Amino acid sequence: MRWLRRLFARKRLEIDLDKELRFHFESQVADKVRSGASENEARRLTRLEFGGIEQIKEDCRESRGTLWVESMVQDIRYGVRQIRNSPGFSIVAILSLTLGIGANTAIFTLLNAILLRPLPVHNPEELQLFGDGRAQGLTLSIPDGPMELFSKAFLHDFGQKDTSFSGIAAVDSSPIETKASIAGGAYQTIHINLISGSYFSVLGVPAFLGRAIDESDDSAPGAGPVAVASYAWFQRHFNGDPAALGKVVRIQSHDYTLVGVAKPGFSGITVGQSADLWIPLSMEKGFPRPGGDAIGSKLYQSLYLIGRLKPGVTPAQAGAETNLLFKQIIRGYLGPQPSQKHLDDLAHAGVELTPGTRGVSPLRYAFSVPLKILMAIVALVLLIACANIGNMLFARGVARTREVAVRMALGASRRRIVFQLLTESLVLSIVGAAAGIALAWKASVLLLNMAAPGPDPVPLNLTPDLRVLAFTLGLTVLTALLFGTLPAFRATSLEFTPALKDGRGSSSVSTRGVMARSLIVGQVALSVLLMVVAGLFVRSLIHLYDVDTGFDPHNALIFTLDSSTANLPHGADEIRSVRLQEQIEERVRAIPGVQSNSFAFFAFNDGGWSDQVLFQGVPRTPANGKAVNFNITGNEFFSAMGIPLVEGRTYNSQDLQNSPKVAVINQTMARRFFPNRSAIGQHFGIGETPDHLGEIEVIGVVKDAKYFALDEGSRMAAYFPCSQSPGFFGNFIVRYGPGANRQEIVSRTRAAIAEINSNILVNTVTSLQEQVDRSIATQSLIARLSGFFGILAVFLACIGIYGLLSYSVARRTSELGIRVALGAQSLNLLWMVLRECVLLLLVGLAIGVPLALSTTRVLKSLLYDLSPLDPVSISIAIAAVVCMTIAAAWLPARRATRIDPMQALRTE
Amino acid sequence: MKKVESRFDLPQGTLDLLIMRVVALGPIHGYAIAQRIQQMSREALQVHQGSLYPALHRLEYKKLLTADWQPSETGREAKFYELTVKGRAHLEAETDNWKRLTSVVGLILRETAEGIS
Repeated sequence: MRWLRRLFARKRLEIDLDKELRFHFESQVADKVRSGASENEARRLTRLEFGGIEQIKEDCRESRGTLWVESMVQDIRYGVRQIRNSPGFSIVAILSLTLGIGANTAIFTLLNAILLRPLPVHNPEELQLFGDGRAQGLTLSIPDGPMELFSKAFLHDFGQKDTSFSGIAAVDSSPIETKASIAGGAYQTIHINLISGSYFSVLGVPAFLGRAIDESDDSAPGAGPVAVASYAWFQRHFNGDPAALGKVVRIQSHDYTLVGVAKPGFSGITVGQSADLWIPLSMEKGFPRPGGDAIGSKLYQSLYLIGRLKPGVTPAQAGAETNLLFKQIIRGYLGPQPSQKHLDDLAHAGVELTPGTRGVSPLRYAFSVPLKILMAIVALVLLIACANIGNMLFARGVARTREVAVRMALGASRRRIVFQLLTESLVLSIVGAAAGIALAWKASVLLLNMAAPGPDPVPLNLTPDLRVLAFTLGLTVLTALLFGTLPAFRATSLEFTPALKDGRGSSSVSTRGVMARSLIVGQVALSVLLMVVAGLFVRSLIHLYDVDTGFDPHNALIFTLDSSTANLPHGADEIRSVRLQEQIEERVRAIPGVQSNSFAFFAFNDGGWSDQVLFQGVPRTPANGKAVNFNITGNEFFSAMGIPLVEGRTYNSQDLQNSPKVAVINQTMARRFFPNRSAIGQHFGIGETPDHLGEIEVIGVVKDAKYFALDEGSRMAAYFPCSQSPGFFGNFIVRYGPGANRQEIVSRTRAAIAEINSNILVNTVTSLQEQVDRSIATQSLIARLSGFFGILAVFLACIGIYGLLSYSVARRTSELGIRVALGAQSLNLLWMVLRECVLLLLVGLAIGVPLALSTTRVLKSLLYDLSPLDPVSISIAIAAVVCMTIAAAWLPARRATRIDPMQALRTE
Repeated sequence: MKKVESRFDLPQGTLDLLIMRVVALGPIHGYAIAQRIQQMSREALQVHQGSLYPALHRLEYKKLLTADWQPSETGREAKFYELTVKGRAHLEAETDNWKRLTSVVGLILRETAEGIS
């Protein structure tokens, strides 16, 4: 720490140095006097011999090795003083840096949390995911492609073999959201992951308290009525009290004993969904779901598998081996004489191992491309901001020519001054970055909520970690170098004499012109690019809003209901659930203002259920062989959703559990199976090769309605009455009249539900319109953000142009004055100044438009029904950039026309 | 601006060696060092203060020299330099090096002297 002491002893050192040199000087003078010179002559000669005393001092300081610290501290102080001395420049610079660095940090924070951060487990880089984790749910068939979901039987049989994996963890692909009562308390929402006994040991996640779930809990169905809590949930509900262990948690009429708490920070392997409780897969019967009656089947495939590679095994080796074993094992499940179809599927099936370092995440697929594009956009905005600040620094460099020249004449080296100027830039960008980080912290949470709105925020840890801070720090330094380097070098390469004489540096004026102009051309080009991108996203969003959903999103409410605490019957008695629903429907229908209401399996954009169907007497074609989306609904579903009937009838109270099975299908399905005749009265069965061929009769055809998303193509859809596919369906749709008070409808509906069965809980209330908006939240966020950044970019470019022209008008004041005096028309003068701007604009457009045309292709996957070369968006972008830059140039140009010739001539 | 520092070009590091040699004779201030070198070289070497003081400070920073303020012959306070133990060892090693180097260089120059003319 010697240099630190030195730093503080600086003052003493300086005094000593001065004293030492003065002693030398005086001794030399004394010697000269002694040998006969006059005092004055001796002093003069000695001074000549000595040369620059400041230079010697500087060399001495440098040779002590502490110079860099001293000069940095000095430079920083000086930089801060400079910033305070020119508040106008500093505010603009810091503000654009705050926005630029803040936006970059915010987007990077999301990118980091969703795409980059490794799982908080032991050696996450050894983990390999089976499949890519895109699929979710349950499948009973073998896909003729890559496998994504696996059965418990497969996990067991694969684990029996000697493989490249030291262990394999499994987790059910569908996280469960349900209600739990802890130690007899009130029911609360809880998120559960069903896991294999190997889960905690393979991931290497130890218990923080108690024990983790192990193989013995998962050895046989019903073996482990236990649960392990996440640390966050444990803190929330028990405030870290270890007495929580041993408490009983009641979920869907089953009791689980809390045996442990997982280590802090771990919340499962799914990024963007955090588990509160882990329960062994042996208890999965306690969580019934559609298709759940097939539990135990060897092809009941619902799990994600994640394996830990043995040391030294490469993923490629493991992949090859896994595929081989996978085919053997699945072949064994198909029985002694599998059908040709099954064998063909198996031949095409395979397992693709993907790196499991960062876990599984549905968010990752949805946001990966948008995030990368936003990252590119904000990076470009920062670049434009850098160009702007660079330009302002050039201008300041010119103003400070005299200062620099004086300092260099006094013995400062060029390197020293460049460093000092760069430190000033760095101080600026650090101030900007500090504000930017604060901005980003709030903004990234806000962005996430805007991108994925919903009643609960997406559980994603967005506190800046080391990686984010390193990114921002790197960005800050890079930014400072980007905008500071050229001006600093330019400012120090000057000729002394003219610079000292008039304080303006004639040589740097022309170079500044070239640099400043090319920076502005670059800014214009980039802002055109960003405006084109913004235009494309906005137009694509408008197209999405214009999509015919097929249903009427206005005046319809959606209640999501939770029956898990109501102890409803399962199996043969499920029709009682349907009776309950009918009672609720009847009660709500009586509320004044309600037009129609219906329970439904799905409303819009909340999951789906699909399979193939086969009509009697209709051959399979590629078109009708696609999956049909199913829905199970109450009788008034079509009027509640506002889906118009096209042909036939919808189901009603006459279609009972035991009457012939009926279905309403959509137009696409009718057309694909019966291109030339009516589908009414035709019979079909569900499945590729239906068990019950032709058991369902088509009684009606309705208009196509969107199922998953607004941008989906035509899909086949079939609707079945609740009475014939009994169960409790959690979506309750209520349509009210145009004049009705929404708030009142909501509270009266809640009351009606509570009256029928107080154990049925209303989880959320939204409107159908909100559901639609939410389904395009990402697109709308991208459109808004790219629009904002596009305008910001143009605005920054305008500041640049304004600055350049103001400067040139100021410099040419006398010339313009002479022109006015000689009788130049103001229009001519205006044009003279504007001409420069128009020229820059044209060059900028000539670069920017082709740049945009050649790069917007990457946006294709994000645009709905819009070509990336959409002429309208491009024209709007060009027009916006032209208007704003001309407007920016107008102010200085007008100033040129108002010059008073007398005053202008006097200033010279 | 810089003045000619000596009538020869001093090889790199030589100035440090000369300074240490002079300081080895006893505590001495900067001005006297310059004069002593000039005298000892019979006016052949003139050390400019622009080279002298940075070298002194460098040697002090490397802890080869220490310095303290003492009254000089004229009564004014001057900064007197002194060799440290480390400096003395360094000086011996460097002097040996220098002698070996000059003898070897001299040997080669003598051997090949005919070739030049």
